[in-house]
Amino acid sequence: MTTESLLLIFAVLYPIFPVFDLAGEAAGLQLHLDQRLVTIFVYGILVVALNVQVGYAGLLQLGIAAFFGIGAMATGVMTVDKYPFHFGFWGALVCAPLVAAVAGAVIGAPTLRLRGDYLAIVTIGFGEVLRTVLINLENITDGPRGLNPVPEVWTPSWLRDWLGAGDAGEANLLVMYYTALLVLVAAVVVLKVIENTRIGRAFVALREDELAAACMGLDPGRIKLMAFAGGAALSGLAGCLYATNLTTTADPTNYDFNNAVMVLCCLIIGGLGSLRGALLGAALLIGFDNVLSPLLDRGIQVAVGDASHPLARFSSWRWFLFGFALIFMMRLRPEGLFPARRVAAELHEEPEEA
Amino acid sequence: MTNRIFLLVLALLAVLDASCARRRPGNAAASASSGAINAQPTGGSAGVVKIVSSLPRTGSANAQTSTTVNGIKMALEEAGNEAGEFQVVYEDWDDASAKKGDWDPEVEAANADKAAKDPDVMFYIGTYNSGAAKISMPILNKNALVMISPANTYTGLTKPGMGEANEPAVYRPTGNVNYFRVVPADDIQGKAACEWMHKLGAKSVYILDDRGLYGKGIADVFELTAKQTGLQVLGREGIDPKAQEYRSLMTKIKALNPDFVYFGGTTQTNAGQIAKDMVAVALPAKLMVPDGCFEKAFIEAGGAKNLEGRAFVTFGGVPPDKLTGKGADFVKKYRDKFHSEPEGYAVYGYVAARTALDVLAKTGKKDREGLRKAMTEYKQDAGALGTWNFDSNGDTSLTTMSGSIVQNGNFVFSVMLGVQEGAPKAETVPAPAQAPGSGVGLGPSAQLFFDGKGQDPAKVAAWQCVPAAATPTAP
Amino acid sequence: MLDTLAQQLLLGLTNGMVFALIALGYTMVYGILEFINFAHGDVFMLSGFFALTLVGASGLQDAQGFSLFAQLALVLVLASGFGAVVNLLIDRLVYKPLRKAPKLAPLVSAIGVSFVLQNIGLIWGALPLDVFGGGGQPAAPKSFPALLPTDNLLGDAALTLQLKDVLVIGASLAVMTALFLLVTRTKLGMAMRATAQDPQAARLMGVDVDRVVAATFLVGGGLAGFAAVVYALYINTVYYQMGYQNGLYAFTAAVVGGIGNIPGAVLGGLLLGLVRAFSDQFIGAQWQPAVLFGILIVLLVFRPAGLLGSTAREKV
Repeated sequence: MTTESLLLIFAVLYPIFPVFDLAGEAAGLQLHLDQRLVTIFVYGILVVALNVQVGYAGLLQLGIAAFFGIGAMATGVMTVDKYPFHFGFWGALVCAPLVAAVAGAVIGAPTLRLRGDYLAIVTIGFGEVLRTVLINLENITDGPRGLNPVPEVWTPSWLRDWLGAGDAGEANLLVMYYTALLVLVAAVVVLKVIENTRIGRAFVALREDELAAACMGLDPGRIKLMAFAGGAALSGLAGCLYATNLTTTADPTNYDFNNAVMVLCCLIIGGLGSLRGALLGAALLIGFDNVLSPLLDRGIQVAVGDASHPLARFSSWRWFLFGFALIFMMRLRPEGLFPARRVAAELHEEPEEA
Repeated sequence: MTNRIFLLVLALLAVLDASCARRRPGNAAASASSGAINAQPTGGSAGVVKIVSSLPRTGSANAQTSTTVNGIKMALEEAGNEAGEFQVVYEDWDDASAKKGDWDPEVEAANADKAAKDPDVMFYIGTYNSGAAKISMPILNKNALVMISPANTYTGLTKPGMGEANEPAVYRPTGNVNYFRVVPADDIQGKAACEWMHKLGAKSVYILDDRGLYGKGIADVFELTAKQTGLQVLGREGIDPKAQEYRSLMTKIKALNPDFVYFGGTTQTNAGQIAKDMVAVALPAKLMVPDGCFEKAFIEAGGAKNLEGRAFVTFGGVPPDKLTGKGADFVKKYRDKFHSEPEGYAVYGYVAARTALDVLAKTGKKDREGLRKAMTEYKQDAGALGTWNFDSNGDTSLTTMSGSIVQNGNFVFSVMLGVQEGAPKAETVPAPAQAPGSGVGLGPSAQLFFDGKGQDPAKVAAWQCVPAAATPTAP
Repeated sequence: MLDTLAQQLLLGLTNGMVFALIALGYTMVYGILEFINFAHGDVFMLSGFFALTLVGASGLQDAQGFSLFAQLALVLVLASGFGAVVNLLIDRLVYKPLRKAPKLAPLVSAIGVSFVLQNIGLIWGALPLDVFGGGGQPAAPKSFPALLPTDNLLGDAALTLQLKDVLVIGASLAVMTALFLLVTRTKLGMAMRATAQDPQAARLMGVDVDRVVAATFLVGGGLAGFAAVVYALYINTVYYQMGYQNGLYAFTAAVVGGIGNIPGAVLGGLLLGLVRAFSDQFIGAQWQPAVLFGILIVLLVFRPAGLLGSTAREKV
């Protein structure tokens, strides 16, 4: 059994045997990891999406949150009562990535010929433009109110009854949980397959040496655009799940640069170009932010008693942890915790300059 | 390999059924339709009830939320952490994440879900941000878990016809009211602000907002009221709350020469910088801001000198140093206990917790639906905020507003807006929802109390001289 | 209307000068190492905290006349020194060991350093000083006292020109001229330019590349420190997250001008300042980021190397 399949089995079984929740309960803590795992799955898809662009094709893009936001917003437009579409969740799940991919192609086509660092700034800029536009085009996006309510995942009622055993809330969570997991697994499987096809190898060739790749007859522009649009599509998929999970498209400030940087951190700590790394990076960082951090704060509250000073909580110090993690990672293990073989090899044979 | 994984998944799903049934033994009878209330989770400790709060504890809103949490803690301590038969445990949850550095919808959703599933949690005090309430309200509603907000003021959360067409029904999937707020909403505050401006002799105003749910909402109410009451609106614009400075904007406004600038926003969305930049470009207009800026941090951020006598802040209820009776006791105890002045929201945290304890003691059962019903009938008699009850929307019957001015680096109470405290006794029967402008807030019966003849713009400065008794006594 | 436009022009120029000062630090490091120093904005932010601490400790807010200006000059020098030292330390401790690693490694490290510096800024704001409002609210923006007189130098004219406007423009121009002279007229400057063009060739010509890089970080950090004081005097705010927004704008300015190009950074900064001012005047403040970054995108599509940048190919 590979690590992947063990993890998958664990994830599939978690709602039935919530070992951590039970352990937490025994220790007097309410964890409810299953709800938080949905968030981790959504971010897992997002990190995998960024992996296509940064990890495979070497396009340094810092605006992934924009495509995430486009996916969420498209889902909102296609499902809420305000608009005449009423596609429902499954319709949106198909359309949101398409919309995001088109947006990716539109922004990517003119800018992909820019050098690496310029692409970074253009994508940051695009993120800022999008955030501003989403907030200000109130007639379409409902501005800060967000489109509301995004319907839950449509499932046949017999399946719902069976899953929830009569408990509607439980059924909803399980449906959301397994839908997110299924989409994540599907995305990973598809990428795993692509990795070893012509296109996958073309991405890597491009990353390693654009000039050489072009000489071998590859069209760098087309391949870059494919990676860019593909990553955007996956981000749109994540956005669709995100909005469905929250039942609203939320305030557009959720799709800003901070989010993009966080996703990049997940990818880098996990391992650039490595699917397993991307997933574990998401689990580690988002898990840290959403699960461990509140627990630690709770611990401090219990230990100190009256912790009213803002610095007397762990949250005020967590940027140190993120920052040092990135710095030490780059120094000691630049290929990430769970590296792709090819990237690791690339990073360790250092070209002697002088 | 891939095929095998999928087969495995299918096989595992097949064994799910039995396990599911084992995990939730008693729930099979509950209906699965989406409008139904979820079954209350079973288990937990018999004599213990948990009250949790979900507020942004990281980031710049911390000043307000710390004081709110202190208020909650005081209420519990006074009650000896007991209510009726129950031992009451309080947990202070954070709805902010490092990723956002502010409240995060995912975390708020997770908090609501966690509270719903914890069999001991009977009250959810929160949220601070109205946007966060939008996320957690439907989740808690489905679980009939009582939610008491000490700070949300966005009207659409409770009042039909004031926000989107589907508000507030969209937050109440079961149709029941489980969300209550102890602060008056923005429809009252926006009108009070406008009324105050009239009384100060203003003829024209330029309206800004921070493009946030709260800031934009209150600016909308303000703009509407201003237009209805003949206050000339010279312009309406949003700002980018992340921008460094707003001098170009202020220069543009200066050319229009309004009497007032109204900013719908909070200290966190750069109200301090707006105040500074008004001074920097020598814009003579005064600045009026809503309760999101009613905190010391606003004066700190804007600079006491810049705000001196020209920053006007409206606040739902009375400022801490003007509270009387039990409210004054609260302020005194707060100072003794925390060695600091309570900020505006401290008393609301206190009252929210007090309400929860009263309802729990009266109901005497760990029954969420029962507690929810008891909340709708709750009336607080001569509490820290006086006597009030919840109306059928879950809003407080209090419509008292106050206006404060910044003087010598402190907020100095200046004027009561809306209904004078204690004057009309709140009725025991919840009042029906009222349409905008039909008497909520500043109807004909509303009184304005201030000590000057501020109608004349020339006398505005003189008008600011408030009685010496209003100056807070710093410890 | 004309007065308003003139005022906007002035605001755009002064703001642009501040962006340009920060942008110079980005562009110099990029010119030599080809890497975006994401932490540069946070060096700027920390220098702001340093300056505010100095002001608070020395009681400068109550000083008058000559002693005010003398002490202010001292604060400027000290803050520049602080920025320079911090920047150099970061390079020595974090970036230097990664010199030969692939490009992404220092970039990611810089993001990490930026996080760490922001957290330091947050904790710095908790110092129990009066200028920090007692330190109880570290995350709140801190007010930097308005030290310079705010009288209108033009008397009663509708256009307001304050001493601080003059100071911002004057000091920035002086520093930029000095920098330009340093780069074009001194031996160190020549070494810098040589290293920027081709580090290997420069090394072969006897240039101590490590020293040049260190000098670049020192100068860039010094500029950030200088910019922080100018910014604080001008905007009157110090905030632990101000490094991000200003860094982003300054970096955009550097890219617009052509990254690696010193006059380009100044031009880009000014342009950015002017666009901001006039977009607020004519389009509306809520659209400012969209206008600014929209122009950036369009510009890069048509002039991929920026306004003054040479269309250098990526090093192969």
